[in-house]
Amino acid sequence: MSEALIITALHDRQAPANLAISMTEIVDRGMIDLRGLPKDKKFLSAAKSALGVALPTEPCTSTQTGETLCFWMSVDQWLIVCPRKETGALLGKLNGALEGIFSLAVDMSDARSIIRLKGERVRETLMKGSSIDFTQPGFEPGTVRRMLFGEIAAMVHVVSEAPEVFDLMVFRSYAHHAWDWLEATATKGSEVGFLKPAEAPAVV
Amino acid sequence: MSNKPYRVPTAGTGGTVGRLIDRSQTVDFTWNGQKHSGYAGDTLASALFANGIRVVGRSFKYHRPRGVIGLGSNEPNALVGVGTGARLEPNIRATQVELFPGLAATAQNAWPSVEFDIGQINSLASRLFPAGFYYKTFMWPQAFWKSVYEPIIRRAAGLGVAPDGPDPDTYEQFNCHCDVLVVGGGVAGLAAAEAASAGGARVIIADENPQFGGISDIAGGTLDGEAQSKWVAEAAQRLAQAGHVHVMSRTTVIGHFHHNYVMMLERVADHDPRIMNDGAPRHRLWKVRAKRVIIASGAIERPIPFANNDRPGVMLSTAVRAHLVRYGVAPGYRGVIFTNNDDAYRTATELLSAGVPVARIIDVRPEPDGPLVEAARTAGIEISAGSAICGLLAKSGGKHITSVKVAPYSTTGRVSGAEEQVDCDFVAVSGGWNPVVHLHCHNGGKLDFNDEIQSFVSRKHDDPVVTIGSANGSFDLAALMDEAYAAGEAAAGASAAKAKAPKAASEPEGALEPLWYAPATGKYNEGNKHFIDFQNDVTAADLELAQREGYESVEHTKRYTTLGMATDQGKTSNIIGLGVLSGSTGKPIPEIGTTTFRPPYTPFSFGSIAGTQVGKLFHVVRRTAQFDWHKEAGATWEPIGDWRRAYCYPKGEEDKHAAINREILTVRGKVGILDASTLGKIEIKGPDAGALLDRIYTNTFSTLKPGRGRYGLMMNEMGFLFDDGVTVCLGKDHYLMHTTSGGAERVVQWLEEWLQTEWTDMKVFVTAVTEQWSQFAVAGPKARTLLEKLEGDVDFSADGLAFMSMSEGTLEGTRARVFRISFSGELSYEIAVPANTGRVFWEKLLAAGEEFGVEPYGTEALHVLRAEKGFIAIGDETDGTVTPLDLGMNWAVSKKKADYLGKRALELPHLADENRKELVGLLTEDPNEVLPDGAYAVSSVTEKLPMDMIGQVTSTYWSPTLNRSIAMALIKKGRTKMGEKVTFPVAEGKVIRAEIVDPVFYDKEGERQNV
Repeated sequence: MSEALIITALHDRQAPANLAISMTEIVDRGMIDLRGLPKDKKFLSAAKSALGVALPTEPCTSTQTGETLCFWMSVDQWLIVCPRKETGALLGKLNGALEGIFSLAVDMSDARSIIRLKGERVRETLMKGSSIDFTQPGFEPGTVRRMLFGEIAAMVHVVSEAPEVFDLMVFRSYAHHAWDWLEATATKGSEVGFLKPAEAPAVV
Repeated sequence: MSNKPYRVPTAGTGGTVGRLIDRSQTVDFTWNGQKHSGYAGDTLASALFANGIRVVGRSFKYHRPRGVIGLGSNEPNALVGVGTGARLEPNIRATQVELFPGLAATAQNAWPSVEFDIGQINSLASRLFPAGFYYKTFMWPQAFWKSVYEPIIRRAAGLGVAPDGPDPDTYEQFNCHCDVLVVGGGVAGLAAAEAASAGGARVIIADENPQFGGISDIAGGTLDGEAQSKWVAEAAQRLAQAGHVHVMSRTTVIGHFHHNYVMMLERVADHDPRIMNDGAPRHRLWKVRAKRVIIASGAIERPIPFANNDRPGVMLSTAVRAHLVRYGVAPGYRGVIFTNNDDAYRTATELLSAGVPVARIIDVRPEPDGPLVEAARTAGIEISAGSAICGLLAKSGGKHITSVKVAPYSTTGRVSGAEEQVDCDFVAVSGGWNPVVHLHCHNGGKLDFNDEIQSFVSRKHDDPVVTIGSANGSFDLAALMDEAYAAGEAAAGASAAKAKAPKAASEPEGALEPLWYAPATGKYNEGNKHFIDFQNDVTAADLELAQREGYESVEHTKRYTTLGMATDQGKTSNIIGLGVLSGSTGKPIPEIGTTTFRPPYTPFSFGSIAGTQVGKLFHVVRRTAQFDWHKEAGATWEPIGDWRRAYCYPKGEEDKHAAINREILTVRGKVGILDASTLGKIEIKGPDAGALLDRIYTNTFSTLKPGRGRYGLMMNEMGFLFDDGVTVCLGKDHYLMHTTSGGAERVVQWLEEWLQTEWTDMKVFVTAVTEQWSQFAVAGPKARTLLEKLEGDVDFSADGLAFMSMSEGTLEGTRARVFRISFSGELSYEIAVPANTGRVFWEKLLAAGEEFGVEPYGTEALHVLRAEKGFIAIGDETDGTVTPLDLGMNWAVSKKKADYLGKRALELPHLADENRKELVGLLTEDPNEVLPDGAYAVSSVTEKLPMDMIGQVTSTYWSPTLNRSIAMALIKKGRTKMGEKVTFPVAEGKVIRAEIVDPVFYDKEGERQNV
């Protein structure tokens, strides 16, 4: 029996030419939602042994080993992002290691859509839909932030800074809304240039 | 009298006249449809002056001709419509409109034209329009108010008209954070921004005008020994290029809210709509979270009201000066200055040096003195000290000033003695300065009265907000620069690097003499209105009348007279209004107090409030993975929560009813499939998971064996039903809960709330997994046969997968959870597959079922199917006041469990009352009659209302299975009334009668699902 064909939420969407940033859906990622208590040392070490990297315990941070990333989601929740094909095996490994430990690991690979945003205007575009301070010092590669974006629940992961690459993650059913929002706000002509050197204003 | 142009030639003025315009570049525009031209750099106001147009609008109440009075956003009079059709924006201040090629502007509140306005008759009948006239003149007869008076008043009084179509432009919003927000780009604001940013702080400086610099170009004093404008240009350039400072012109700070949350409107493209061709929004609404706010919003000149002070050509002194210096226009050919301070002398000398004669300076002070006064005197301008304007003469219906009457004035407020007439065609008036304290007050800032400037200044704010410069009553250049740098340094923090301040030299000025209005001599208030609030046509007499009639509180006066209630929020009128009240009550101004300053500082566009949330982004639409398939199949939609679900799938010429009936019969006779992906799905795991479920549900779940499921009801603490669904046991201490589609988020939050706030000892994790799965119901006699055709390892047999059990496996190459549950009463399965495989799987189901006649069915068929079986739906049979017992679901309410949410509430007398409404089925006497949804049952039909209501219809459908109508209802003591008839009076006297029956209409024994 062959594996079923995957159709992602944004498979039919392409960024129009008038955008100042590039937008593509990332489709090869798997995701595991992991719950556990950060004060439970057994949990932390079991998770680390299965994942190959310790879970982040500082808010808004992530850890990474190879292609496996662990995002801090809340005080007792993490999102593990890994190659889609390896998700089943990793989940099995996690569940094996966490046997008997108070925890919950769930395959959520299809629950979210990931939109990769690239370009100098990424932060500025996100600021049109979210009140998070994307320009604050420390909002750098590795930072993970859950937020309200364009009226929906979303999160970002800062992939790199030079060039600017952010992954925007939204629940699957909201993917088109997020995409439409980005198309509306990332247009070339709508640059804000926030805190960038600019021409001097006219004076009296 | 023909319109005369008022553009002042540059020749002989040393090039200081018309600094902001480019006389080599003409710009064509239209005014009331007529073609005109101005220069690049003009405002609409200056271009109108240049074309000899002084009457730019008609007043709100009396339709008096009105002209430009002020400068920038303080203009109360020259409100115009800009744009046409759907792009028309009414009530824009002409002084803020920058001229661009093709600009189309129109006068407002004038018919048939601004030059000849029929509504001016209101002015002749002004005895009918005193303060509070709404409450007086039009009270009788009462019936006339709605049909006659109100429509006439609405037509006669008012400002601009609305655009005639949806706004075609785009708008957006922008959120940002900064260390310091500086409001205002005059010298004080620039200095504060320089100081604040010197240490690297993130600074935003915003100014509502197209140019930075405030009025530094026409004010006295020097910076580093040169004109202030030079330093302004250099400072603005340094800030713009710093990279950590955001410099914004054409941006009005419109409101200050809690925790230094500030809203600003950036007018991105109003000055040049061509910018929008590249995708720029017209306006951008900024939502700024500032650590500190420095308000350097400047001050607004106030007039001295005198008789007929609203005639076109009476302007504020600084407005006259700025129009001359910046745009090279004068309001006339021969001016008179009326002042109580030194600053207006600058206007006089500026006019004279530009070649505009100044007939007289009328100064209320007995002995004006100082360098500015000397300079005017030396220039040969005649000064009438200790005098006031006591009248104004005009011709052509008040449109052209011919002269003013001048009389001696004593500081006791009396105007008396020999009158003199001075010929002139414009008047520049200055009564002092009011600090712009609006923003300071928006979020609770308080004010103190400052005697020196005779106006209010800010008291220390509870938020990290400071006010500096003339907004703080500091008018001396050297002092205000010190204040500004100190404020910027304080905002940056003690350790931050310091900016170098320029050396400021002030120009000495004498003190002002407060004068709130100069009364007319002669017959009082006979055609001699002293306008206080130009925009709402409120006069000094109106304010005094309000006092006499007992509206003593300033807030009452405001509402009774509408003082300060127009779109300008009393920018020019507030303080002089208070001064008039002070004069008539004998109370000092601080005791009179101020009215409340509310956001916005100036009106801003609805488009910017909507921002990006228009059209398809107006509201979120959630899509299942099969959304496109449903769309391509021609589904009609039903919104459920934010989801769009397929309501039914009409084929060809079929209407919705036919489609629904076909879908139902397909399920009953063959097999149907339903996209049930929106069902809430929650994984629950932990040692206390079973215990949690036992507390949340009315029935017991902890006894559930892995692979088995159970239908459960959820109550709140009040005993009322709020959700239901099937929860299955996935393994030890591990469950999957299904909720209603609309209740998915609510139930997760409900579980988390109990776990986090009340039952904190419970070891349970709750994870919402709704989005992970696509889920399909496969229902009908052929369901099993269809599913058995799928490639995979799931046993669908009656024994292999018994009713209310589940199994996991692989189907068509994808992971699948299969539940044998039924909401239709048919042999039925629900299959969940990962969402990204959902669309393909859905099509496999259709392909596998083709030979059996499979069809998709929508939410309406789902509802009819469940109603035929008497299954309840949360939100139909429940409305937040219904208990499980009301619905006859005692079987699902545990008697054994020690406690669970709502258990004790069910014992409350009013919930245990035997007179409560109970769920029953209804069969109408006429089987073809479908009861209206929500119809009320009455004990008996009476002629007169009210009738005794005994219940209501909760679900009502045409059942194609039974070929008749069916309904469910909550009827008082319904279960004791089986077989009785109940009556439903519906619209227009019609009465429907129905028999009370068991709510299960079809397959009472449940044989169809147990095969």
